[in-house]
Amino acid sequence: MAGSNEVNANESKMVVPLHTWVLISNFKLAYNMLRRPDGTFDRHLAEFLDRKVPANASPVNGVVSFDVVIDRTNNLLARIYRPAPPNPTTPLADLHRPPSSDPFPVIIFFHGGSFAHSSSNTAIYDSLCRRFVSLCGAVVISVDYRRSPEYRYPCAYDDGWAALKWASTEPWLHSGKDAKLRVFLCGDSSGGNIAHHVAVKAAESGIEVSGNILLNPMFGGNHRTESEKRLDGKYFVTIQDRDWYWKAYLPEGANRDHPACNPFGPNGMKLEELPFTKSLVIVAGLDLVQDWQLAYTEGLKKAGKEVKLVYREQATIGFYLLPNTDHFYEVMEEIKNFVTCNLKQPANI
Amino acid sequence: MKRGHQDTLHGGGGWYAVAPEMERGKRKTTMGAAEEGGEVDELLAALGYKVRSSDMADVAHKLEQLEMAMVSSAATNDDALLSHLASDTVHYNPSDLSTWVDNILSELNAPPPPLPTPPALTSPDAYDLKPLPALPAPAVPLVLGSDLQSEVTPSPRDRKRMKVCSSPPSSSTTTDAATSAAAALPVVVVDSQEAGIRLVHALLACAEAVQQDNLKAADALVKQISMLATSQGGAMRKVAGYFAEALARRIYRPQPRGGVGCCSFDSVAFDDMLHMHFYESCPFLKFAHFTANQAILEAFAGCRRVHVVDFGMRQGMQWPALLQALALRPGGPPSFRLTGIGPPQPDNSDALQEVGWKLAQLAESIRVDFRYRGFVAASLADLEPYMLLDQDADGGGGGKDEEPEVVAVNSVFELHRLLARPGALEKVLGTVRAVRPRIVTVVEQEANHNGGTFQERFTEALHYYSTMFDSLEGGAAAAGADDGGPDQALSEVYLGRQICNVVACEGAERTERHETLAQWRGRMDRAGFEPVPIGSNAFKQASMLLALFAGGDGYRVEEKDGCLTLGWHTRPLIATSAWRVAAPAEDPLSASAAR
Repeated sequence: MAGSNEVNANESKMVVPLHTWVLISNFKLAYNMLRRPDGTFDRHLAEFLDRKVPANASPVNGVVSFDVVIDRTNNLLARIYRPAPPNPTTPLADLHRPPSSDPFPVIIFFHGGSFAHSSSNTAIYDSLCRRFVSLCGAVVISVDYRRSPEYRYPCAYDDGWAALKWASTEPWLHSGKDAKLRVFLCGDSSGGNIAHHVAVKAAESGIEVSGNILLNPMFGGNHRTESEKRLDGKYFVTIQDRDWYWKAYLPEGANRDHPACNPFGPNGMKLEELPFTKSLVIVAGLDLVQDWQLAYTEGLKKAGKEVKLVYREQATIGFYLLPNTDHFYEVMEEIKNFVTCNLKQPANI
Repeated sequence: MKRGHQDTLHGGGGWYAVAPEMERGKRKTTMGAAEEGGEVDELLAALGYKVRSSDMADVAHKLEQLEMAMVSSAATNDDALLSHLASDTVHYNPSDLSTWVDNILSELNAPPPPLPTPPALTSPDAYDLKPLPALPAPAVPLVLGSDLQSEVTPSPRDRKRMKVCSSPPSSSTTTDAATSAAAALPVVVVDSQEAGIRLVHALLACAEAVQQDNLKAADALVKQISMLATSQGGAMRKVAGYFAEALARRIYRPQPRGGVGCCSFDSVAFDDMLHMHFYESCPFLKFAHFTANQAILEAFAGCRRVHVVDFGMRQGMQWPALLQALALRPGGPPSFRLTGIGPPQPDNSDALQEVGWKLAQLAESIRVDFRYRGFVAASLADLEPYMLLDQDADGGGGGKDEEPEVVAVNSVFELHRLLARPGALEKVLGTVRAVRPRIVTVVEQEANHNGGTFQERFTEALHYYSTMFDSLEGGAAAAGADDGGPDQALSEVYLGRQICNVVACEGAERTERHETLAQWRGRMDRAGFEPVPIGSNAFKQASMLLALFAGGDGYRVEEKDGCLTLGWHTRPLIATSAWRVAAPAEDPLSASAAR
């Protein structure tokens, strides 16, 4: 046993740059300490260890951010990122003005963390969201959704939905001659999962979504897939930790074929009749849950929904956190193209 | 594999060849690292981790070692290791990844014996001045002293603590942090409705007019603000009211002395009264006292004679809890001396002595040997070291070999006032250094209300106090009250006076000269102090304390570079930091060159 684990450590070191290895290994170490075998979570230590940054209404690399309270009753916050307003002397006055008279994308972003970790002010996600602004000229809304195990399904989805509804009522987020909200739902890991489910709700409720962007989305199911077995423990992630997070998020007594976890599984919902949006799904070839992500993509296709799959063979989880690989830059390009293309065209109806 | 933007990939043995070299280099730079100033890796710094580029491979190596240890303990189904690392280990300064990983490795190599169940310290009652009969059974065990057991018996961790304090690679980033901190503008918009936004715009426009000396426009805007404010509700209306009033004062420049309002010399008693209501209505002062006490307790571990100097004694609300914690610590309490500093009382009453006397009664009831001395000082800069040093070294012990007393200096919201007079802060910090304290605890508002132009100061203050007022509203609402009653109202007056001072006063009268943690770090560093990181145990306990406090949901504790902040939502509002006199540099010339 010990011998094969030594091999594991060596393998992950061979495929990621040093910085990435240090960053992700650090998270792995910290996260291992936070998950307790009895299913509880050391939230205090988690918040202590999490690296956070405040919002900043002064421009940094042409981007400003500020936090808003979306719902006072449950303290639902979001961090808004946008291009710096043109007048440098009065940045605050123009925070709520549209960044452009031309149509611009609004990206509602759901950070990852397997439903339990991170916040909208976590440094790695603040960095990523700022990048999205520069990349796409977008206004990015990063939702500080409630996390498990304190808040299980469907809290994260409810918060995501609340954020989408809120965005649809903010006049300054509407653009173009038709004054529309040109919204994309985007997320990594659990955030990708949330983006899917919020998109379903949007489709059911008649809110038009221009596109979904799912980065290494978190899906699963009861049976063990080939990729899970093959890659267990090899690239920072184990089946055991995946199981723990699902157990912490799903309702008590539910298994991983619950539709939240397995949307195209035995309990999944049929999307054929719904105006569900187009999707860009990015899968890392060394992510052990890739079989579930690929099955998700297949499920969308079978339901007649447009989906583009970007498969990065040698990428591990978290490749999009550091701008130090081709994976990073090429995937950012894909995202930019997806957003630009779907900004002008109407969503798939 | 394309190599365009990539770091060098390391094949199997690649890192190991590098690591031993790094080890040597690192050991050299561990102490006095601030002077060496190795380059901090930019990629990870952007994500909140400060690692020297030269240490990267070494950190990776250690992470691997930890991975091996975890894996082998998992193989034997031994949860104890992980659970020990999570619940018993005290973590410090997670941004300093290298030291954090080192500490965990040391835990692995020399885990301390299992700690016996600590006695539970009690409820928020501890913060009242009433002498406690017997200690009541707590609703939630808040253990101030539990983690100290590991410190009392000499352990590898004590030596490690020394290493922790000196290594954060901050010298190259201190200036950057200070610059970017001065420019950063954290904003939490609570009311994104049209009317609220227009009100903020009007306030900012008025400040701009004042900045440009366009008093006619400013006057018109003040009137507009008052009108807009009436259509608002809640926190925004009140904040706008205070800022509008302060702007009006600035525009019309009323008599600074003898007049009613923020800048006049109100009685100290009135001031203390407002302070107490602020203490009751929201958790900021409780957090300040709690976290400072935690750092003081840890610094006093194993000491038999201790001395606390409180730069702002007021009603002494911080000290009952510390006395209790000392009473309960394993090995028994030390003999405790308290020096309280306070301003002159116009009515000749001796509030400072009265407070000391009440504390003495409490100390007696819990059997802590206690001595007290009060000092009246119009300014902390009037203090001289001899006033604070132990003059009766015997303490009645009579001829025995006495341990020298160990000193803690405590300042809650006092240091920023000194910035109103040039040289005052430096004098005070010099006095502090001269008494060679084991620890200096500092709590300050986390905001820059002292830099840049009037307009910049105004903008910062507007956002800071909006968040403050919102927290008062939010706290009351969460507690199920329609409003927070007299506590909230008087707290608003308390904060309103600060607003008035920040906006309407200048020069020596403008005493609310708040600065950010990054700025204070620079000042303390230049004055010859180094940080003592506050750890995860204090963080956890502060978080639990908040949960006890009704309306706690919106309040958040955060850790930043070894300090703790308490904020409302995502905006830190106050920061607690701890310091000690820096070890002298090996080469005084290179030290001053590095500064």
